[in-house]
This record gives sequence, structure tokens and C-alpha cells, in this order.
Amino acid sequence: MSLINDLIFFDNPSIWHDFGGTAEGYLGITWQMMIWSVLVGLLVFIWMGYNIIAFKHNEGDPEHKDALKTGVFPHERGNTTIELSWTVAPLILVIWLTYISLAPLDYMWDIPDEEDTDLVVEVTAVQWQWIFTLPDDYVIPGDFTSCGKFNEDGVRQQNERITYDCLEVPHGGIIRFNINAEDVLHAFYIVEIGVKQDAVPGLETLAWIDTGDIKPGLYNIYCTEFCGDEHSMMLAEVYITED
Amino acid sequence: MKGLNLKILSVGFLISILVAISAFPTSDGVPSGITDPTTSSVEANGCYCHNEDTTASVNIELTLPENFTAGGAYMLTLNISGGPNDDVRGENYGGFFIKATHGVLEPLENDTSVQKPFGETHLTHSTEGNDYREWNFSWTAPEKDDVIVTFTTYGNTVNGADGNANDYWNSGSFDLMGVNAVAVSIDGHDELTTPQKMIYAFTIIAVTLGVVVIGNRMVTNEQSFEDVLKDYWKSIYPWLTTTDHKYIGILYICTGFLWFFVAGILGLMIRWQLFEPRLDGEFLTYEEYNSTFTMHGTTMIFMAAMPIIFGFANYLVPLQIGARDLAFPRLNALSYWLLPTGGLVVYMGYFTGGAGDVGWTGYTPYASGESATVPGTDFWVAGQIMLGASSTLTAINFLTTILRMRAPGVTLMRMPLFTWSIFVTVFLLLLSIPVFTVALILLMADRTFGTLYFNVEAGADPILWQHLFWYFGHPEVYIVILPAFGVLSEIISTFSRRPIFGYTSMVYAMATIGIISFVVYGHHMFTSGADPLFRFIVMLTTMLVAVPTGIKIFNWLATMTGGSVILKTPMVFALGTIITFTIGGITGIILASIPLDIAFHDTYFVVAHFHYVLVGGTLFSFLGGVYYWFPKMTGKMMDETIGLIHFAFSFIFFNAAFYPMHNVGIAGMPRRYATYDASLTELNQFISVAAFIFGFAQLIFVYNVIYSYKNGKKAGDNPWNGWSLEWATTSPPPHNSFKEIPTLKLAEEVEKQ
Repeated sequence: MSLINDLIFFDNPSIWHDFGGTAEGYLGITWQMMIWSVLVGLLVFIWMGYNIIAFKHNEGDPEHKDALKTGVFPHERGNTTIELSWTVAPLILVIWLTYISLAPLDYMWDIPDEEDTDLVVEVTAVQWQWIFTLPDDYVIPGDFTSCGKFNEDGVRQQNERITYDCLEVPHGGIIRFNINAEDVLHAFYIVEIGVKQDAVPGLETLAWIDTGDIKPGLYNIYCTEFCGDEHSMMLAEVYITED
Repeated sequence: MKGLNLKILSVGFLISILVAISAFPTSDGVPSGITDPTTSSVEANGCYCHNEDTTASVNIELTLPENFTAGGAYMLTLNISGGPNDDVRGENYGGFFIKATHGVLEPLENDTSVQKPFGETHLTHSTEGNDYREWNFSWTAPEKDDVIVTFTTYGNTVNGADGNANDYWNSGSFDLMGVNAVAVSIDGHDELTTPQKMIYAFTIIAVTLGVVVIGNRMVTNEQSFEDVLKDYWKSIYPWLTTTDHKYIGILYICTGFLWFFVAGILGLMIRWQLFEPRLDGEFLTYEEYNSTFTMHGTTMIFMAAMPIIFGFANYLVPLQIGARDLAFPRLNALSYWLLPTGGLVVYMGYFTGGAGDVGWTGYTPYASGESATVPGTDFWVAGQIMLGASSTLTAINFLTTILRMRAPGVTLMRMPLFTWSIFVTVFLLLLSIPVFTVALILLMADRTFGTLYFNVEAGADPILWQHLFWYFGHPEVYIVILPAFGVLSEIISTFSRRPIFGYTSMVYAMATIGIISFVVYGHHMFTSGADPLFRFIVMLTTMLVAVPTGIKIFNWLATMTGGSVILKTPMVFALGTIITFTIGGITGIILASIPLDIAFHDTYFVVAHFHYVLVGGTLFSFLGGVYYWFPKMTGKMMDETIGLIHFAFSFIFFNAAFYPMHNVGIAGMPRRYATYDASLTELNQFISVAAFIFGFAQLIFVYNVIYSYKNGKKAGDNPWNGWSLEWATTSPPPHNSFKEIPTLKLAEEVEKQ
């Protein structure tokens, strides 16, 4: 595990592969952030290193004519052009970074209406459990057994409509989560997919994923809003299964 | 006449308090925290729909094993008998309810007579199960076997007729011991919690040291115990009663570093807990862990960072503007004494069954639900109200001083940048701390008097607290970083032997940061479900913070360019700060972008970010500040070699400890987790080891301070050749700070002469 590598190749959220219309690769937001971070960082570090080496004080150096004197307010030092340039340049940079944040933001916050989704999952967070409820008119596929109970022979049964700390959703569909909390604040976080939304008592919050962009398999759900003693054990699993 | 007025005033005051208390929107009784809506009716009232009172002759039997092992599965049988309906048989003649304090109750496979209602932990009979008086179900033991499990049961015998006449019920409670459980008698002593053990250990060490030191004095000086104490009292007394800004400043700094030490121990406890993925109670229980990180955060911000800052402000601002003292010296003493007192109140929680465990942010409704949190949370709230009062008084004091008491020649635009940073900071304090104090008072009312300000079920806004808290909380982070900017400006200018580059733009940059800080707080709430437009606007404003911050960094670097850079310890710390603060600033921009923040919010990426800013920015610059102003405060130079060793250890191991946290966060580890995915063990161990070395490296600093105080070389009035007025007086300054009030000259005027 390389420390720098992780940051450069941060492509964690699976739904960001296409990023709702933004460019992939060097023009994608994670790459842009990384490139500018490194550039700004290097500018500061190299400039500082240059200062230390080139302007090091040596014994017997003559005092500069505006050197500091006790009890005397020194000469104003500055250069309007230079100062303006490093006001405007960061301004342009952050405007650019804000601009490239808009497309993914628009994609994430454009929650599809319930009619336009393939499945609406009611997510209920309680201390310290995730409860998933599927709609009554949804036909659970017969081979969806990842969250089912075992029968006497130890064979998993088909999932039930209400599952605890476990959820199985089909691959290749728009899944919408209607998130509620019963007691205190929680946060619904699908780790590998990068979806995060607080669960707020008395307020329904929404999140969605397009499982067409995500490889089938097992993903983890964590609670990321501090909710009490068992906060770090409030975990769940979501299976994305091909029909 | 005067006495009469006072009486009328006090009566009126009492009446208004009574009116205020009666006007509180209270619920029927004491708030019970968040209750389980379905179970509460049975647990509160019993089987009241059958009859109001219990019937003693109804007998409930629960068949239990002798004891249980961790994780084991057991079949339990509940049987009701006796009572007037004992021999009545037929349809609808029984019912039950059972709940366990630990473990999981489940109906047996294919058993339709028992049901577990949706989202609940208890079991009860189903419609079909109404026809029996005996039920079987399974119970899976918890993962620990040193607890005693209590089963609460209710059973009723029904006569089958409609209505509740001739129905009889009773309740029962059954205990089941784990194989390793120890029955505790009521008057027995509870085992000490880990934090309590730590506190007792440190108390014992402190007392022992005290005895050794006093005993040593008694033996070597052949004094009696009383004489030794009298000697100590003579040297302590001036500190206890002082209103001199220099004494209070040093008290502030020492208190701040003392709390910093305490909170540092807590931080190392957090790192030891996270050394490997631990189960509940292996080192700290999860509840203790929650207390630990709450106290770590609260202490570091309110009792370490802010006092250190205000210590330096106390000492330096009057000197830098050429004043003899602050405007209100007694108010200043009050501000100081509220700090150790408030701090002790916050820590009282450790002696009442666990310190506050709601996180330093104290989000409601978790924090307002009494049953959900430990009683120490009340102390956490009360102590912070005192600390808030202290900060508000300080703010008023400094505003008045800086505006009214400047020496001749010190106009606003000729103040040293450290004074400017304090000036902006106290504005922020004055505008933000009262909001937090009000929020804390509301929280205290909710927790103590049964009000419903944060009770969601009673219709409160669930994110009201977040708005109130972050309206204060975001300016707060600038309150702790702006003075650091001030210190950096002073040090870098002095050790480059040239004036600061762009003094005017530095002042405007600080003022701009101060103003923007009030309109960016929503970036802590990107995932909270607040209005999307609100979140979008604060993303824009947050990005703007980068502009004035960038100006400051570039101006510092430009100051060095063309200067004559002397690499003494204060300067080395200042340059280290620029590096770490730049990294913290860059991750700040990353977190300001909502799509990235949604991935990183509440993970260790955020933890890394704010430690880079608060430790790498505030702490490092103020350590530099100690090396820089120690000669002024004591008249002795600090040791250069030890100082550079201290810097090297601090800088290397700070980065080693906190840089990998970015990666841990990207891998998805949420903050405030007491345990984590095993795949992150290696990285977390690396962080923990580095954190321990970083922690212990600070002992070098303590040694250096004590060593230099005793053996340091004599410092002149102006050992570093600084320009501002504090260097114009002696080291340490005389009682009234200046022999005569100095006049700040202008460089242009001096050259003309």
C-alpha cells in the first residue's frame, strides 16, 4: 500500500466512472484536484527551499537598507502587480475547481422520481441497526437468497421483504433509497460506492445508485454519523446480484 | 431609598426567573431520552389493556440454562400458570411479552405462535399464539460472557371473553449469568474504568512527587513542614491574586499546555485503542472510547489551543501596542480563573460514571436524549458554558484595549500583525461564542429541566443544533488559526531581517478570512439533508477562503525572498508550519468540493485535514512562538540544539502519524469508530506508533523549557532584532511593562533625521 499512490489513483466511488457526463481520466474531478494540489504544494515547497538556500544569512552580511529597527515601524514593502496576480490566480483556480464539481454534484443530487426507478428501498436506521424494506409490489427474484434465513437443512431461503443489516438489489437498475432514522442521527454510507447521506429523525433524506455502473458483488454499509456506543458496529452489507 | 430599589429589583428578578421557568415548553415529566415507541407502552404500563393492576397469583416461569457462554444459542420456554383463570381453556386465553438486556431473541423456525415485531428486539405472541400459555423461542447469547442478562417478562391469563374483565396478568424478571460473570452486590465497589485508573495513577504520581519535593526541602533546608508550605505560599500567592497581564498571560500559557498534556494522553489512548481492531472492552469499552475522543476534542480546542492563544495575546498585545495593561485587568483575571474551573467541571464527568460521550460537536438528538448518554455529559455542557463566558469576557477586554489604549504612533495600520490577528479573532469570538453559549443553555435545559428544544418527536428541527453549533464552530476554527498567522508573520519577518511583504494586504486578508468565516459553516453539513441551495452556496463561499489564505502564504514566502534568512528554532518551526498548513489547506479545498466531501465526510480524511490545520498550523506556530518570546518572558534564551531536536522529532513524526490518515480515510474508515476493518490494521499500527513518538517528543520541549529557565543564556532586550514595541522594553518587562510609554516611530522619519 503506497501512501502517495492511494491519493493519486483515488477512484474509489464506482458510480463516478462516468461521473454523470464529466470527463474521465485527467479531466475528472479527482485527477484535477490531485494535479492542482501537487502543483500548488510544489510551488510553495520549492519556493521556500529556494528562499532558504539563496537568501541564507551568512556572518558578516551587510544589513539591508530597510532592515528592522527596534521601535520603528518598517518601510511598507510590496508590489501591487505581484500581489494582485496571486489574488487573481487562486481565485481563477478555485472557480475552475468549483466548476468541475458541478457536473458530478448535479448527477448525485438529481435524485430520480420514484416512478423512474427500478426499485425503491426504504432504509430505516435505529440504534444500532439498518432495516431495509422493499416495496409490496416488488417481486423478489427467486435466486435472491443472500439475506435469507437458513432452513433446517442449512440452505438459504429467498430474501424476505424486510431484511436487517443486509440488502440485495439487482444489477443494472436505478435504485433509490428513502432514508429515515427512528431515534438519533445516523448516516448511510456505502463505502466502496461512495454514497453518503445522513439519516435524520423526522426528515426523509434520499440517495440513489445506478447499479449498471457497479460490478456485481458485496459492498459494505457503515454508519458514519456518531450515534452512540455501538456506532462502530452499526454495519450492513449490500449485495448487487445479476438476475 | 437605595435599599428599597435593590429589594424591588431582586423581587422583580425572582419573578422574572419564575415566569421564565414556567414558560419553558416542558413535557409531562422528565425527558426519558429516545424511547422505543412500541415496547414502551408494555414496559411502562404492563398489560394494561387487559387490566390495570397485576395479579400476584399469576405465576410466570422462564426456563433458563444455568449460565451461558458467549455467542451460544439457547431455547427458552415461558410458561404462565395460576391465577383465577388457571383452568379456563379455549381460544384466546393467553399472551406474553419478553425482552432481554443482551443477546438476540428470535422466534423458532416455522413457529407461528411467537412473533418479533418489525424493528423491535422483544418477542410477543402472534394472533395464533393467543391460544397457548406456553411458548418456546430461541435466544442467542451476546459476544461477551462476563455480563448478567436480565429478561423482563409479562404474561397474562385471559378468559377468552371480549373486554378486559376477568383477565389477569403479572410480570417477572429473570437473571441469567454468563460463565464469567461476577454477581455484584449493591454495596460492592464497581470496577474502575480505564480512564479512572489513568486519573488515579496520575494523581498518585503527582502526590508522590509533591511529597518528595516538600520532604527534600524539609531535609536539606532543615525547615519545618509549615515553613516549607509558607515558602511555597509566598511564591504562589502573587500568581493567585495577580491582575497583571504578564502574569495572567503566563498562567494562561501554562494552563493551556497542562490541558494539552492531558488531552494528549487521551489522544494516545485513542491511538492505543486503534492499534488493532479491538472488541468492546479489550482496552476501552466503546462507551469509554466515546468519552475519550469527546474529551480529547473538547480539551484540545477549548482548554488547550484557545488558552495558549490568549496567553500570548495577554502577554504581547499590551506590549506591542505600548499599553501598560489590558483595559479591564480584573475582568481579565476573572476570564482566566473561569478557565481551570470550567475545565475541571468538564472533567467532573469522570467521577460520575463516565465523561461526556457525545463528541465535541455534541449533535442532538443524541446529546439531548438523557438515557442515551452518560451523566458526565451534563458536566460537559456546564463546563463549556463557563469556558464560553471566559472567552466572551476576554473578547470584550481585548477589543477595548486595542481600540482605546494604543501608544502614540501606533495607528491601526501600524499595529504588529500578531496584534492585528488577535483583533480580528476577538471580533469573531464576540460574534460567535454567545451563539454557542445559548445553544449549550438550550441543551442543558433539555437535559436537565425537561424542555423540548431539540426533541424531534415534539416537533423540533432535527438539524437545529447543527446550525447553531457550526455557526459558532466554523468561526471557532479561524479563531484558533488566525493568531497562528499572526505569530508566523512576526517570526518570518524578524528572521528574514526585512519588513513583511505586503503588510496592508496581510491585514485585509485576515479581515476577509474573518468575514468569510461566518458564511461558510454549512460545509460541515453537506450530507445532513439541509436545503441543497444552502449547501451549494456554502461550497462557493468555502472555496473563496483559499484566496486570502493563499495571499498570506505567498506573502510570507515573498518576505523571505530578498531577505537574509536566519534558521533559528522559531524560524524552523514557522517554516515547518507553512509546509503542514499548506497540506492542510489543500485538503480543505478538496473537502470543500461537495462531490468529494460526500465521499470523505466523517472519515479519517477529515481527521487528517483538521489535525494538519490545528496541530500543523496552530500548535507548531505557537511552539515557534514559545521559542521566539521565551527570552522576552523570562530574560533567558532557550537552548537551540534541544529546540532543533524537538522540531525534527515533532515534524517527522507528526507527518508520519497524520499523513497516512488521508489514506485510511480514502479506504473508508469513518471517524469516531472504536474498531475497524482488519485490512487497515497495518496502516493504523503505523499511525499509532508514530503518534506515540510524536507525543513523547513533546517531553523534549518540557525539558527544554525547564532547562533553559534555569541555565539559559541571558537574553538582552531584543535578542532577535524585532521591530515591534515589546522588544523596546526590558526582558522580562518591568512591573508596569514600560518605564515610560514609548512612541512608535516611522522608518521614513527616522531616516530623515
